[in-house]
Amino acid sequence: MQEYSSQAAYDRGEAVCVIGAGASGLIAVKNLRENGFEVDCYERDTVLGGLWNPQNQHSPLYPNTHLVTSRSQTEIPDFPMPDDWPDYPSASQMLTYLTAYAKHFGLSEHIWYGSEISAIEPVEGSRFEVVVKPAAGNAARRLRYAAVIVATGHHWSPNLPSYPGLDQFRGSVLHSSQLKDPSRLRGKHVLVIGGGNSGADIACEAAVNAASCVHSVRRGSWHLPKYLGGEPADYALARLGSRPKFLRRFLTDRLLKGPASLAARMGVAAEGRPSAEEPVRNGRYMEHVGDGSIQRRGEVARFDGFDVSFADGAEMRPDLVVLATGYRPKFTSVEPRLLGIEGDSPYPKLYARMFSPRMETLAVAGLVEPGVGVLPIVHWQTHAIAHWLLVRKSDPERAANFRVQVRSESEQDTARPAGSSPRHQLAVDAEVYLASLGRIIDTLEQEPAK
Amino acid sequence: MSLAAWVRRARTPAPAPVKREYAFFEPADLFDLDIKDDPEASPVLCCTGDPAGASAFNALWLKRIATSGRYAAAVSVRGQGNTPAAEGGLEARAHDLVQAAVNVPRQAVLIGHKEGAAWAALAAGRYPAAALVLVSPEKVPKQPPTPVGGPPVLIVVAESETQSKEAQTAADAYGITPLTFAGSRDDVFKGAGAEGLLDAILSWLASKKD
Repeated sequence: MQEYSSQAAYDRGEAVCVIGAGASGLIAVKNLRENGFEVDCYERDTVLGGLWNPQNQHSPLYPNTHLVTSRSQTEIPDFPMPDDWPDYPSASQMLTYLTAYAKHFGLSEHIWYGSEISAIEPVEGSRFEVVVKPAAGNAARRLRYAAVIVATGHHWSPNLPSYPGLDQFRGSVLHSSQLKDPSRLRGKHVLVIGGGNSGADIACEAAVNAASCVHSVRRGSWHLPKYLGGEPADYALARLGSRPKFLRRFLTDRLLKGPASLAARMGVAAEGRPSAEEPVRNGRYMEHVGDGSIQRRGEVARFDGFDVSFADGAEMRPDLVVLATGYRPKFTSVEPRLLGIEGDSPYPKLYARMFSPRMETLAVAGLVEPGVGVLPIVHWQTHAIAHWLLVRKSDPERAANFRVQVRSESEQDTARPAGSSPRHQLAVDAEVYLASLGRIIDTLEQEPAK
Repeated sequence: MSLAAWVRRARTPAPAPVKREYAFFEPADLFDLDIKDDPEASPVLCCTGDPAGASAFNALWLKRIATSGRYAAAVSVRGQGNTPAAEGGLEARAHDLVQAAVNVPRQAVLIGHKEGAAWAALAAGRYPAAALVLVSPEKVPKQPPTPVGGPPVLIVVAESETQSKEAQTAADAYGITPLTFAGSRDDVFKGAGAEGLLDAILSWLASKKD
C-alpha cells in the first residue's frame, strides 16, 4: 500500500460517486443533484461525452456515425433536443447536445477529469471506499462515499473474434472503432465482418467509397429502414403501442410488410418473429445490396496469407478487413462479484438491470440495450436510483419492502428467454422494461404511510 | 414529469417546428461597470399571452432583470410577435417555451404572464425550471403537472383580481397564497406599477437563491 499518499481515506459524507462522464454519467449527476445529493463524478478521459466524443481515446465512433433511433425517442425527457435538428442527428450533434446539457445544469464543476477509479471497496456496511488514480503521475487518493453509481458504458472494450490464421493475415485488420477516417476505405477491397448496426453502416460507407465491399454475417438479422409509413421507424412502431391490443399486431404487421419482403428478397431476413431482438436500423443498406455494391457472404472460415475463405468455400483477397464485431461490457474498478458477474460470462446480473444484487448502495446506469433510445431509459433509471437512495436514508422499512419488489421484478425479467446471440444479453424489451421502471418509480415516490 | 406522461408525449406527434422570436439581454449589454453578471443567479425566461410576444418585455423587463445580474430572455410562441403562426394549442405553445428554455445558457426561471402562465405551468412539468413565476395567470389547468425538480413557485396577481376565479384556480392548484401588486393586470410592462411588480419578483427570486 505504499503507492497511496495516505492510508486514511477522506470522508465525503453522504456524497455519491458517479464513475464516467458520458451520457449516462451526466444524466446520473444531474438527477442526483436535483434530488439534493452531493456528487463527485470521475472521468478517466479528459473530455465529457463518453462514446460521443471523438477525442475520447476509447470512442467507438466510425465515419459518419448517426443515431439509429430518432430524435424524439432519444432525447433526454426533460431536456429536449432543438426541434430544428434532423430526425437522426449525427455524432457531432449528439456531442453538442450533451455538452449543452452539462453546461445548462452546471454539471462540469462536479466532474473530475483524468481520474481513473482503480478500485471500489465496500466499507462500514453500505459505504464505499473509492481509490482515485489521476492520469498524471500524482499518487492515488482514497475517498469514502455513501453510494456509487457505475456509468462506464459498454461500448469501449472491443469484442475481437478469433479466426484461424487471423494473426498471420497479410492485409490490414481494423476494429470498427479504429476506422476513424473514411478515406482509409477509398479504393480498397474491403471485407466487413459483423451484421450489427456498425457493420451495416460501415458496409454502406465502403459501398460508396471502396473499390468493392464484401459483408460477412454469421446469420440473418432483422433489418428496419429508418423511416416507415412516412415517419421515423421507431416512432411509428412505438406509436402503435397506444392502439387497442387487438389492432396492434395487425397494424405492426402491415407496417413491416414492405421491409420484411424486401429483406426476404435480399436474403438478409432473420428467422422467427422480428421483435425478438434489436433490429439493424439502416435505410441505405438494402439499396446497396440491391445494386450490388455490397456483396453479402456467410461466415468467415479462415484467413490464409492474403486470402480469406468463407464457410461456403468462396475466397477473396481483401486489402482491408473491418471487424464490426461490437463490444464487450468490461468493469475495471468494481469487483465482478458485486455486480453479479459469475462464471465465464462478462454480463452482470443486476436487479431491474441497475441495482447490485450484493450492495444496496451500488447501482449501474445505462447497461441495457432496449432497442429504443438509451438516454431516456437512463434518465428514468437514475431518477429511480436517486429516489431509492433518498428512501433508503429516510425510511428503512419501506426500503426493505422495496428490495423485495425489485427482486420480484427482476425475476420476471430473467424468466424471459434471452436473445439468441451473446450480444443480446443486455437486450430488453423497451415496453416491458419501461413498465417495470414505472412501477419501481411509483413505489419510491409514494408518500410514506404515517 | 412522470414516466407515463413522457411515454405518452413521446408517442404523440411533436408540434411542427417554427422559427421562434427570441429576445435576450445580458448584464454586459448594459455597459454599466457597476453591474456584474452573477454566475450563481439563474437566467430568466419570460413569455406573455399578449400578442406582442417577446417584444413586450423590451420596454422595461429585460433591462431591469439584467440590472440584477441575471441573463434575461423572452420568447414569442407560435402566432405571437415575429414568430410565424403554426398549428397546435396549449401543448404546442408549452413546447415552444421548453425549446426556448433549453437554449438559455443555464437552468432558467420561467415567468409566464396571463396565458403565458398556463404555458409556463405546462413547460415546468417537463423541464426542470429553476423557479416558476405566474403573473396574473389565465387558463392554467385545474390540475397542472407537478413541476419537475420541485422548483419554488410564485403567483403574483393584480389587486383588482385577487378574487377572480382564474387566479384562485392557479393558487389552489399549487397550494400557495398569491402575492398581490398594485395596478392593473394589463400594465405590467411599463409604468410605476410594473417596476414595483418586477422588483417584488426579483427580490423573491433572490430570497430563494435562484
